[in-house]
Amino acid sequence: MNDSRLSRRALIAGAGTAALAAPALAKLGGMIDLGLPGGPGLRPLSPAFPGKGEMIVQRIRPPLLETPMEAFAKGIITPNDRMFVRWNWPFPTEVKAAEHRVAIGGAVKQAVSLSLDEIAGAGEHVEIVAINQCAGNGRGLSEPRVTGTQWGNGAMGCAKWTGVRLRDVLAKAGLAEGAKRVRYAGLDVTLTEGAPQFIKSLPMDMAMRDDVLVAWAMNGEPLPILHGFPLRIVVPGWFSTYWVKMLAAIEVLTGEDDSHYVAETYRWPSVPVTPQAKDFPTVPITAMPPRAFITSHADGAVVAKGEPLTLEGFAFGGDAALERVDLVGTGRGGGWEIPCDLGPDEGGQYAFRRWSVRLPQVAGDFEGIGVRAKNVKGAVQPESLVWNRSGYARNVIERITLRAQ
Amino acid sequence: MSRLAILPALLILAACDSAPAVTFKDASITLPDDPLELPEGPGRDAVLENCTACHSPSTMLQQPKVSREKWEAIVGKMQKLYKAPIDDDAVPAIVGYMVHVQSQPEAAR
Ligand code: HEC
Repeated sequence: MNDSRLSRRALIAGAGTAALAAPALAKLGGMIDLGLPGGPGLRPLSPAFPGKGEMIVQRIRPPLLETPMEAFAKGIITPNDRMFVRWNWPFPTEVKAAEHRVAIGGAVKQAVSLSLDEIAGAGEHVEIVAINQCAGNGRGLSEPRVTGTQWGNGAMGCAKWTGVRLRDVLAKAGLAEGAKRVRYAGLDVTLTEGAPQFIKSLPMDMAMRDDVLVAWAMNGEPLPILHGFPLRIVVPGWFSTYWVKMLAAIEVLTGEDDSHYVAETYRWPSVPVTPQAKDFPTVPITAMPPRAFITSHADGAVVAKGEPLTLEGFAFGGDAALERVDLVGTGRGGGWEIPCDLGPDEGGQYAFRRWSVRLPQVAGDFEGIGVRAKNVKGAVQPESLVWNRSGYARNVIERITLRAQ
Repeated sequence: MSRLAILPALLILAACDSAPAVTFKDASITLPDDPLELPEGPGRDAVLENCTACHSPSTMLQQPKVSREKWEAIVGKMQKLYKAPIDDDAVPAIVGYMVHVQSQPEAAR
């Protein structure tokens, strides 16, 4: 409720209320302009979906809802009613808790079918704050443009997830000799016979990790249906394509996974490619790279000449903790950079973290400034887009221009 | 009940001694209707009939401007990969419509 009131206020007040303004997103009568190069970039903010606040409706069926950037202007947690929604295929609109089962089979000692209570009793309950980000987040901003869901940068969010470890759930069945990958499926089904089901898999070392969960709660609430009730996989640091929703089946594999969404898509080039390139090697898209955003000022916002200026935003390290954020000027090599102050580490290494920077005096326009995140593994946001034909893993420095007056 | 013993104290705070730590309730949702909005243009019916069973029209309408050949390839992908039951005879009308719509200014779409 609060959030939608805030956003309405921002809409009325316009760019003057810098702290509430949505960067680069102009709202026009129930529509939002994502500013995608060459268009079309206009998206409706309706119809409303149950349990959701104001969202950018990319698609009604199956739902694709994008979070307006203003939802990231405060704090590090994305409320459930603002978390982005992404489904590939239709899913049941009703789930009976008592009837739900998770079947575990394949290379296991003993196939089992677990109730929700059995899942919840499989091990220690774990809470982790982690970013859920679509591999295609920001695809619509790719230049040259690529086909697929035309997201702005709002196909991400940060939430607190509660569940049990996937490895404790697997222990209910026991891994058999030669177990190599863990594949899982949700209740979403294809509409046509022979179309690929949305199933994904993790290599065993990931599946065994301390923080890879079978989660039932999001920000302390049961998972809403749109977010995968009753259970979803949580893989901190990896893109949400692995965070399968409505978990219903787990299969332990002894070899590679040749299913469509692992072997043929959600892959990207393992070498730099040009838009003309063909027949290049690809690898699955997995770990997230660092990203940073300015939330205090929209592109084109006016700032007071001669006055001090404070810029704010949030950043994340991806699959490792954030190390630093720098405000960077225009120009490769020749630009300037100013270190930003990081806010408190509220959510741990896989969470959003706030940053701010105070400039003593505005001397003139700021052309194409951006913020650049670096993680503790040394990964830094690049100056130019690492283009790929699927528009995956965008993490180029996002830039805005501020006008001094 | 014995499994409660392995839960860390933090998480059973809200639960009394014999209650399970998590209670699962049924869930349901009523999704909004899809008005199937597609701008007027030659071939619109072919697109309505063949391309809206699995997804809303926005899937097509929001794509960046691409060539006729690319639209043919996309329709081919729908047929081969997703097993979309698309009449081969309808393909030129579908592709023609998408090329037409993408030649219009955004406000008209
Ligand atoms: C059998 C189901 C089905 C039918 C029928 C169907 N599609 Fe799709 N289409 C899909 C699926 C599944 C996706 C991927 C959805 C996602 O990523 O969320 C998709 C995605 C798309 C995309 C996005 C770009 C891409 O390649 O992912 C376009 C454009 C598209 N479809 C066009 C069409 C057109 C045009 C038709 C009619 C000729 C059509 N579709 C009919 C299932 C279908």
